[in-house]
Amino acid sequence: MNEKLLMGLMILLPFFGFLFNGLRFRSKDYKLAGIVASLMSGLTFVISLILVGKLISLPAAERVLSAKYFTWMTAGDFSVNAAFMLDQINAIMILVITGVGTLIHVFSIGYMSHDDRPSKYFAYLNLFLMNMLLLVLGDNLLVMFVGWEGVGLCSYLLIGFWFTDSEKAAAGMKAFITNRIGDAGFLLGIFLLFITLGTVEFAELIARAPSVPEVGWSGPITLACLFLFIGATGKSAQIPLYVWLPDAMAGPTPVSALIHAATMVTAGVYMIVRLSGIFILAPNVMMIIAIIGALTALLAATIGMTQWDIKKILAYSTVSQLGYMFLGVGVGAFMPAMFHLMTHAFFKALMFLGSGSVIHAMHEEQDVRKMGGLKKLMPITHFTFAMGWLAIIGIPPFAGFFSKDEILWYSFASPKGHWLLWVIGAVAAGCTAFYMTRLMCLTFWGQSRVPKETHPHESPATMWIPLAVLAFLSVVGGWIGIPHVISAVLPGHPPNVLGDWLSPALASVGEIHGSALVEWALMGISVSLAGISAWVAYDFYVKHPERPQMITEKLGSIYGVVYNKYFIDEIYFARIINPLVDLSKGLWLYIDVNFIDRITYVIADLVKGTGQFLRSLQAGNTQMYALYISLGIVITITYVLMG
Amino acid sequence: MMSAIFFYILATLILVFAYKTITANNPIHCALYLAITMINLAFLFFGLNAPFIGGVQLVVYAGAVMVLFVMVLMLFDLKSEIRAFSRGLFSGLLKIASAGLIFGILSNAIFKTGDLLGLASGGPGMPDPAGTSRDLAIMLFTKYLFAFEALGLLLLLVAVGAVAVSRIKGGTHAN
Amino acid sequence: MPISGVLLDVGINHYLVLSALLFTMGMIGVLMRKNVIVILMSIELMLNAVNLTFITFSTYNANLNGQIMVFFVMTIAAAEAGVGLALAVAIYKKFKEVNIRFFEQLRG
Repeated sequence: MNEKLLMGLMILLPFFGFLFNGLRFRSKDYKLAGIVASLMSGLTFVISLILVGKLISLPAAERVLSAKYFTWMTAGDFSVNAAFMLDQINAIMILVITGVGTLIHVFSIGYMSHDDRPSKYFAYLNLFLMNMLLLVLGDNLLVMFVGWEGVGLCSYLLIGFWFTDSEKAAAGMKAFITNRIGDAGFLLGIFLLFITLGTVEFAELIARAPSVPEVGWSGPITLACLFLFIGATGKSAQIPLYVWLPDAMAGPTPVSALIHAATMVTAGVYMIVRLSGIFILAPNVMMIIAIIGALTALLAATIGMTQWDIKKILAYSTVSQLGYMFLGVGVGAFMPAMFHLMTHAFFKALMFLGSGSVIHAMHEEQDVRKMGGLKKLMPITHFTFAMGWLAIIGIPPFAGFFSKDEILWYSFASPKGHWLLWVIGAVAAGCTAFYMTRLMCLTFWGQSRVPKETHPHESPATMWIPLAVLAFLSVVGGWIGIPHVISAVLPGHPPNVLGDWLSPALASVGEIHGSALVEWALMGISVSLAGISAWVAYDFYVKHPERPQMITEKLGSIYGVVYNKYFIDEIYFARIINPLVDLSKGLWLYIDVNFIDRITYVIADLVKGTGQFLRSLQAGNTQMYALYISLGIVITITYVLMG
Repeated sequence: MMSAIFFYILATLILVFAYKTITANNPIHCALYLAITMINLAFLFFGLNAPFIGGVQLVVYAGAVMVLFVMVLMLFDLKSEIRAFSRGLFSGLLKIASAGLIFGILSNAIFKTGDLLGLASGGPGMPDPAGTSRDLAIMLFTKYLFAFEALGLLLLLVAVGAVAVSRIKGGTHAN
Repeated sequence: MPISGVLLDVGINHYLVLSALLFTMGMIGVLMRKNVIVILMSIELMLNAVNLTFITFSTYNANLNGQIMVFFVMTIAAAEAGVGLALAVAIYKKFKEVNIRFFEQLRG
């Protein structure tokens, strides 16, 4: 089988699943819907394994599979093909998407068993999968944009899946509208790149970009990269457009795991890595990305320390981890960013699914204050969740350690890095360890605060098997990218498989300067920081549950600000949304009603009057017809006589 | 001189009764005035050396057709109408204006072309009234035979058609 | 015929103008009267005006074709009156009136 057929099937199979479930969306048969959807997802995973196998069999320098289907549109010089390409970068993406996606599909069968509309849910899930694959497989920016919009749509549909609850429907709209702002930027970026370079194909773009003369801040490449980054901040929830992601937790928990942790939100990172050859030409934008990423990581981590909703904590954690990825791409650490994207997909999907398992067991209770002591009641969930916890706080040798430390090392040592960025990243890592340990303590350890009437129970096999698989990946997932400093001391010197795999496809920022000693030192600092804050959290929430109360009282207003998410939502409402609404209202009430409506009314009256007049000419009045005949005679004869 | 007096008398009568025809409120009166107009026209035809046509005018038009009109009017049992004319001041003025324009065009044509024909002040006239009827009959049954027969067929069709139209909904006297 | 020939002295234009006046009157009647039967009468007036023109030209041109034409016109006028009156009867049966505006109902 050739790659053209295989890549086409990767899109068509989920689409078939979408049609199958979408057409029988009223059905309550969750097993059939779930099995078909999971099967489609599983098949795409198998296909992506085959494709990646093909890719590996190629020589390292020419590892690109491309498939052109047809010319999508042509207008003058502008020509776009509906074409896919697969290289080292999106090979990782499709494996993560289909692999994690399949696990989440399977998990959903158990999770959605009590829902009213499982068919609809699985239809959306498959549609999402299709669009996500479209996004990562696209051979040019426009195909990518189709997928980009498609995943936004699915995200909206799934966040507002329980749309009868107006708060959840509003969360869906918030996500959609916030994404629109980013998408506008993304589109402008595409336009600017096309105008500057005359193409939208990735390979061509990267090949042509270096020839464009750049002047500081206002060069076309810089502006285009800035616009593309705005698109990325919308999709990947970075400052200033991150506000939608915490609210997006209104959707079903597996959706949060798939879309809002593992795949869709990483699209921005993927896009920048895909265009690394262009971004590298815009150092100013790289700097902005790094700063925004670092700040987002810190901001979200601090908010995460104060939240009580288990999914909100994970959501802020996701924002924070995405901040790391952007910090990574900002300092030129494209490989570590992809690495972290992958490991994060494993452990964050695991933690979301684990929280889903907990929520399912707790009968839709999400407040960690009403949990605690679930370790005994849900041993498998606890064990797997603990793996994710160890991975995210960066304890060696779990997956998160390698990827996060790689990013931190780059942020310190890369030519584009700065020690301040490292400090922010390390502090954020400390905060991460704190809130994650706090989450573990409040949920699984300590005294049980579960209300009497709920009886938590371990989840069924369809739910814990995906957890187990993801837990395994969270443990070993990092071993494919072991930094050479560590591998140097390990027995057998395991190679940095991922780094070797990705390096031909990525732009390079130049030589990393810094000795192994410094790297070890920084690693030690960040790990011990994480360890200390994890221990502090354990001390606070398990051993001395009264201490957090005291500290929050001492901190007073600072705690209040953080707890209220720095009032960002309120500021947006007061400074942007409400003025816009008022302006629109004003435009409607004054300009539209008084001016535009009146014009249309006048035109309508004119047409109506003309019609009325012309209608009266042929109302069937025989004598008037006779008059027209005689007038016609008069006019004709007059014309003939005059002529 | 005499001829002019006779002509003007007849013309005045024709115009007056034509005027009465189109303005009288009662349709029966209209029919009566129309009959008088036609009789006067018949006299004018006689004066124009067309005695046969004048006779036909008297017998067929002033006689048969007018009787038909009057008979239908009797059938309807119509009272004198309050408003003889259609509604609409503007359209009424427009109608009169268009009729006036037609008249203007016609008289314009008459005065412009009559002289060209060289007939304005009397022509050669017709030889003999008795002869014209004979010639007319010969022409009708030789040169115009086909048209004559076609006309006969037309009259037959009209007779059938008129019966068919008036029999709609069970004939004249139904209901 | 004692009067024949006598009337010819006034000249062709008199007859034509008389005919035009008669025609115009008939036309006004057709355009303005309400009653269908009176409208039919006005049409007869117009036809008579045309007939007068034919006869006039026939006489002054010494050409009998005009008279033949008048003969045909008269026949057709009789036929037209027959059909028109039949229609008037049909209208009357439906609306109990013979106003021209009821012809608006003749649709389709």
